[in-house]
This record gives sequence, structure tokens and C-alpha cells, in this order.
Amino acid sequence: MTCDAVGKLIPLYFYGELPSEEEDRVEAHLHECAECTRELDRLSALGEALSRRQVEIPAKLLEDCRADLNAALAGGASLLKPRAKGPWTLFLEAVASSISSFSSLRIPVGALAMLALGFVAARYSGAGRTWWRPADDNGFATVRSVQRDASGNVQISYNEVSPRLVSGPANSPEIQKLLLAAFHQNNSEARMDSVALLNPQADTEGRDALLGDLAIDSNVGVRLRILDKLTPLASDPEVRKKLAGVLQTDDSAAVRLRIVDLLMTQHDESLVGVMQSQVQREDNSGVRQKLQKALKDMNASQGIF
Amino acid sequence: MAQDAAGAVGARMNPQVDSLIRAAQRGDQDAFEQLVRMYDQSVLRLAMNLLRSPEDARDVYQEAFLRVFRNLQTFRFDCSFHTWLYRIVTNICLDQLRKRKVRKEESAVVETADGNIDRMEAFEEEAAHADPERTAWNRQLRQRIENALGDLTPRERMVFELRHYQGLRLRNIGEMLGTTEEAAKNCLFRATQKMRVVLGDFI
Repeated sequence: MTCDAVGKLIPLYFYGELPSEEEDRVEAHLHECAECTRELDRLSALGEALSRRQVEIPAKLLEDCRADLNAALAGGASLLKPRAKGPWTLFLEAVASSISSFSSLRIPVGALAMLALGFVAARYSGAGRTWWRPADDNGFATVRSVQRDASGNVQISYNEVSPRLVSGPANSPEIQKLLLAAFHQNNSEARMDSVALLNPQADTEGRDALLGDLAIDSNVGVRLRILDKLTPLASDPEVRKKLAGVLQTDDSAAVRLRIVDLLMTQHDESLVGVMQSQVQREDNSGVRQKLQKALKDMNASQGIF
Repeated sequence: MAQDAAGAVGARMNPQVDSLIRAAQRGDQDAFEQLVRMYDQSVLRLAMNLLRSPEDARDVYQEAFLRVFRNLQTFRFDCSFHTWLYRIVTNICLDQLRKRKVRKEESAVVETADGNIDRMEAFEEEAAHADPERTAWNRQLRQRIENALGDLTPRERMVFELRHYQGLRLRNIGEMLGTTEEAAKNCLFRATQKMRVVLGDFI
């Protein structure tokens, strides 16, 4: 074998990717050729230097990833069997118009929770409708969870000077306020659960809160969940405008794909320009094909002129 | 080598994995969670090593396993689950790498919860104990390695990552990337050549 021919095989030899006969021939050449042996040594040194570059996974990252995924799976209506419309949903539909807006607030959830708790306690304590009690454990830093139990009550575990558990019937507006608070804090699992319990159809403030978060939430699962909640509002011009904006900026192909699905539920020529521009820059083939199909369905060209 | 995939790397058949997949396909969420936990560390390591950003790696993790969950019903056991999973993961990572190529935004530091650290953190400890000349040399080597890796095309980078760091065979890599073993070999050859050229006087 010539040095040229061996040179082309050295990387594959180094990684053990040559068939045995070819490997034997390379070895025979290396045995006699100092220059090719030096080349192999250089590749080994390069391999060693590169191996030392491997990044260790930060301690909490795996745990966070698993929590994100669990939250997405627990909250994803499109992933799991649809939940029956329970008392909570019925309640939201009934009282949504009375919900105060927290959409623009980014205040510490602990402070909001304390205010809300005081309100709840003052109003309902002893009335047999909503009850509260201090929790036994300490050290909560954020809203920990939002869930509905078998009887239809909503339980929110959240920050306070000392941890407390609020439990109330589904028809408590204050529970809704706490849900909005949970929606605006850093625990993605709590955000996911809150999104699942909000009802943007009945209340523009709830809708705006979801739209606002869609553009900025760092968690893909939460963004997908928000899109699920916005599905019934896909014909709302405000919603469509926002979706078109997020389509152009969101990093997740799954999110962009879902947005295109939502936008395609309606023939809307005002979005042709956005879609044409997105086709040009889209690097995910699935999203690109869907956009091309949408444009074709609207008899629009796929280029920008 | 991906050590947390229950020895399933490249394997066509793995009874334990197969029974978990079948259970998950029937809607058993515990089985799905067990399945995730068999593979998620290697997925996260791949994303972290390629993208060098915990936030991006976290997004890749979530998007990958959500896609797995959504599409598990379509898995027909005609390749190993590992290969099928990695097709999904590598697609998402390639998307990210291509975006970075366009934006030229890959930075020389890794974001961590404790602040930004140099990409070649592994060298730092050693450097601290070495003589100043050696430290300077290591810094330059580090920078050259980053430049060399940055010069690879996303596909070359992916093949190199899967072969060198994840220890996968080129035949499997070709299968994952929807290409041939021969094409994967060519990618690996080009990748090593490019790095040899950039790092020539250091190695």
C-alpha cells in the first residue's frame, strides 16, 4: 500500500472501522513506514486532546430536564387521553369574567400568594368553603405544584414565610388568582398545571396572559400547552397576529409546527407574507413543508418578490 | 460510549427495552418513564457536548422525548429503539447546529447555573498546576480545538461527536442520520482531516 492510500485509512483504522483484511494491510504498512506511524500518533494525540474536552452534565440539569418532561406529559392534553370536563373547567367557564388580570405582573409569587391567602382566609375561614392550614415542612422557595384532586378541589402548594397549603372548592375566584400567580413564576411544572386550568376562551385577560407567555416562556412543554389552550381561539385576530409573530421567532420546531397547524385552520390571506418569509428562512423540513402546503392551499407563491 | 442505555447501543433486540416499549405503546406511563431513564443521560450528554449550553440541551431533551412520546405508536421494531431515538435527537441537534452556523453565535463559553465558564473547563484544573508556559500553550490548544470543531459542517460535527464521544459504530451512525456507512466514513475522514490541518502544529 502507498502512504497516500494508508493516509486515507488512518482515521478509520484509529477508530477501528476497517474490515479486518484492510486493517491487516494498514498495520503491515505502519510497521515499515515511520512517517505514517507518526501520522497515527498525531491522530491519537488529537483524539486524546479532544476527549479531555467533553463537558460534564451540570448537577441539576438532568433532574430539571426530567421535571420538565414530567410536567409536559402530565399537562399535555394532546399527549394523553383528553380529560373529561370537570368541575374546575365548568367553574372557570362560569366565573372567568370576574377574574382580575395579573397578566402584566411579574411580582414575587410569595408576596402575591400571601395577599391572596389573606384574602381567602379572611373571606372563607370558618365558612366551611375554603380552608387553610400551615404545612409541616419548611423551606419552599416557589410554587411547588398545582393540582386538582378527585373531589374537584384545587390544591396549590406555594411560597410563604412558612409553607402553607391552600385547598378550596373549584368555585373560588381566589384559587384562580393563585393559578395566575403560579403561571408567572419559575417552576415550569406549576406553570404547566396552571395553563391546563386556565380558560382563555372565557376571559381576554387570561387569553392575553397566555399570549404574553407564549413568546417568552423558556419551556417548550409550557409553550406547546399554551398552544393547545389557544386552539379554540385560533380564529381570533389578536391570537392569530401573536401566533404569526411567535412563528418567526420561536426556536422550537415543534412549537412552529403547531402554530402553522393553528394558523391553517382558517383561510387568511393577510398571513401570506409572513408565511412566505418563514418558508425562506425555515430550516426544519417538516415545518417548511407544512408552510409550503399552506401557501399552496391559498394559491400563493412560495417566494418573495 | 453511551453507558446508560442498558447496553442497548446498536442492538437490534433487547427484551427488556422491547417490553417497556410495548407497555408504553399500550399507554403505560411508568414504562415510558423507565424507557426515558434508560436513555436520557446519553441524550443529554450528546446535546450538552454539541451545543455547550444547558438551556439548549434542556430544550433538546424535552423536544426529543416529547416527540418520542407522540410517535411511539409508529415504532415498529424494524430498527433498535436506540437508533430510532437517536434519529430524533440528532435531527433536533442538527437543526440547532445549523441555526448557529447561520447566526455565528456559538460563543467561547459554556453557560452554567453558576455563571459562564470556559468551554474547556476540563483543562483548567490541570492548567492551574502547570507552569505558565504550559498553561498558555493549553489555552491556545483549547482555542484551536474550538475553532477546528466550529469549522466542521453540522453533519461532520455530528458524525464526529457520535463516533468519538458516544462511541457509536459508523454503520449505526449512518442509519441514524439517514445515510450510508460509506457517507458516514467520509464525514469522519473529512472531520479528522480538518482538525489535523487546524491543529497541525499543536499535535
